[in-house]
Amino acid sequence: MSQTQPLSEPAVTVRTQTASGIVAMVIGAGLIATLLSLPFWAEQGTIRSVVELCCYIAIAQMWNLLAGYAGLVSVGQQAFSGVAAYVTFILAQNFGINPYIAIVLSLAAPAILAVPVYGLLHRLDGPYFAIGTWVVAEVVRLITTNVGYVNAGAGMSLRVMTQFSAQERAIGICILCALMLIATVGGSYWLLRSRYGLALTAMRDNPVSAASQGVNVGRLRFLIFVAAAVGTGLAGSIYFSSQLRITPPAAYGAEWASIAIFIVMIGGIGSIEGVLIGAMIFYFADQWFGEYGATYLVVLGVLTLFVALYLRGGLWGVLTRVVDAPWFPTRRRLIE
Amino acid sequence: MLAAEGLGKSFGANRVLHDLDFSVDAGEVLGVLGPNGAGKTTLFNLISGDHAPTAGTMRFNGNVLNADPPYRRAQMGIGRTYQIPMPFAKMTTFENLLVSAAFAGRSREGETYARCAAVLRDCDLIQHANTEAGKLTLLNRKRLELARALAPGPRLLLLDEIAGGLTNEESRELVELIRRVRDRGVTIVWIEHVLHAVMSVASRMIVLNFGELIAEGPPRAVMDDPEVQRVYMGIDA
Repeated sequence: MSQTQPLSEPAVTVRTQTASGIVAMVIGAGLIATLLSLPFWAEQGTIRSVVELCCYIAIAQMWNLLAGYAGLVSVGQQAFSGVAAYVTFILAQNFGINPYIAIVLSLAAPAILAVPVYGLLHRLDGPYFAIGTWVVAEVVRLITTNVGYVNAGAGMSLRVMTQFSAQERAIGICILCALMLIATVGGSYWLLRSRYGLALTAMRDNPVSAASQGVNVGRLRFLIFVAAAVGTGLAGSIYFSSQLRITPPAAYGAEWASIAIFIVMIGGIGSIEGVLIGAMIFYFADQWFGEYGATYLVVLGVLTLFVALYLRGGLWGVLTRVVDAPWFPTRRRLIE
Repeated sequence: MLAAEGLGKSFGANRVLHDLDFSVDAGEVLGVLGPNGAGKTTLFNLISGDHAPTAGTMRFNGNVLNADPPYRRAQMGIGRTYQIPMPFAKMTTFENLLVSAAFAGRSREGETYARCAAVLRDCDLIQHANTEAGKLTLLNRKRLELARALAPGPRLLLLDEIAGGLTNEESRELVELIRRVRDRGVTIVWIEHVLHAVMSVASRMIVLNFGELIAEGPPRAVMDDPEVQRVYMGIDA
């Protein structure tokens, strides 16, 4: 590229891993192993709760990639989780495909849907983009509600699952959850440590400047939008397959977007650690205070508002001010 | 290397640049002067692709640039700094350079480490390599702007008021650095209000006023031009 006289370039060392990162990786592997072992010792209720938590983490991490790095604030990601889940039910229930294989095959649906949706919405800025995604989700919900093939508003049941015992179902779902976490959290970590992670972080900090430094911001945003749709779709498929039942209001409800936004804002936007912290907070808040209904939701909303106003980096941002020990280190440190 | 023919830019009814013709030869340092609002930064935005021209053409190494987006122009070898530094604030100084070297320079990340470290040394930023860019002083932010533009090895470097806001000593250090860049054969177009800085490096200057070219030539001759003295320095002949 350069036609100028080169500078002298002695070799340098660049460190990209930290002790805290290695410890976190070991703990992460242990947690994945624990997840895989759940069907052999945990109760069905516990497994269902853990599956829920895993789905929250996956959906929030995908939203984090979208909003935290690509600057695409979507409130309509439920369109992709719902479509993928419905396609899983159709493939398994109407075409007789093994439901676990159907979950994998269904990922094509959110990917295919994401392409025209991005084409339609990518010229919209900020709140207009957000409203656009919500409209898309509502349109998909209304279409589903009126299509007899998927039993319209009454929804569908995954009766084919009865061919498996409860433990076999638990094993299948736990394996899929482990793969989902590896794909969404591990995949995001891998992406951020790659060359494209540099571009994503640059784009997060200043998209105009990133473009002037050779980053194809438009293409990167498109790829992130599609990848986030697929990751969200996987979470939707797994969630509803474990519930064995799907209806349009459940699949396309705006609460999916609210949960993702709450988790990411509370934990810390633009960091994987923040998503894990936020997901744990939401999960336990939901377990302990969910019975209070509207009051509980108001408290969650006020908490999100407080963090947005006074703690922009979320709880992870506060923690990093105290101790610099990232669980998912992505920084390149020059060691001369 | 760079040639503008009949270049124009309007924002609605506001005509910012009009029928501009100029060229820059390889290895040359062209100074761009003009009062505030003359259209200097808009000219840079047209060269870097941040804005599209409403008239005329821009050529770089013979290729018409008009339809190329900013990222592609950066990959062609056009590097730029911004008047108000725009670093990637949460990334370190070193990482700022990696972005530019890997994407504008179209290289694998690992291949860029040594070069980025060398550029940091050359720009006297090596001691801040692992500091978040948002925490740098103004002088170091300006150095970072320059270092980031140099990291991919540009053929053409656009400097937008890089010496603005600096002390005389800081400005002198920056001029020395720009001289070293020039001596390595990089073509430079430099917008500057700090006249002694740009005049000490530029081989030729152009002056804009209300979006039109009013003078062009060697630095001393341009500064002695009565029209330039009138519009730029407020001196009536």
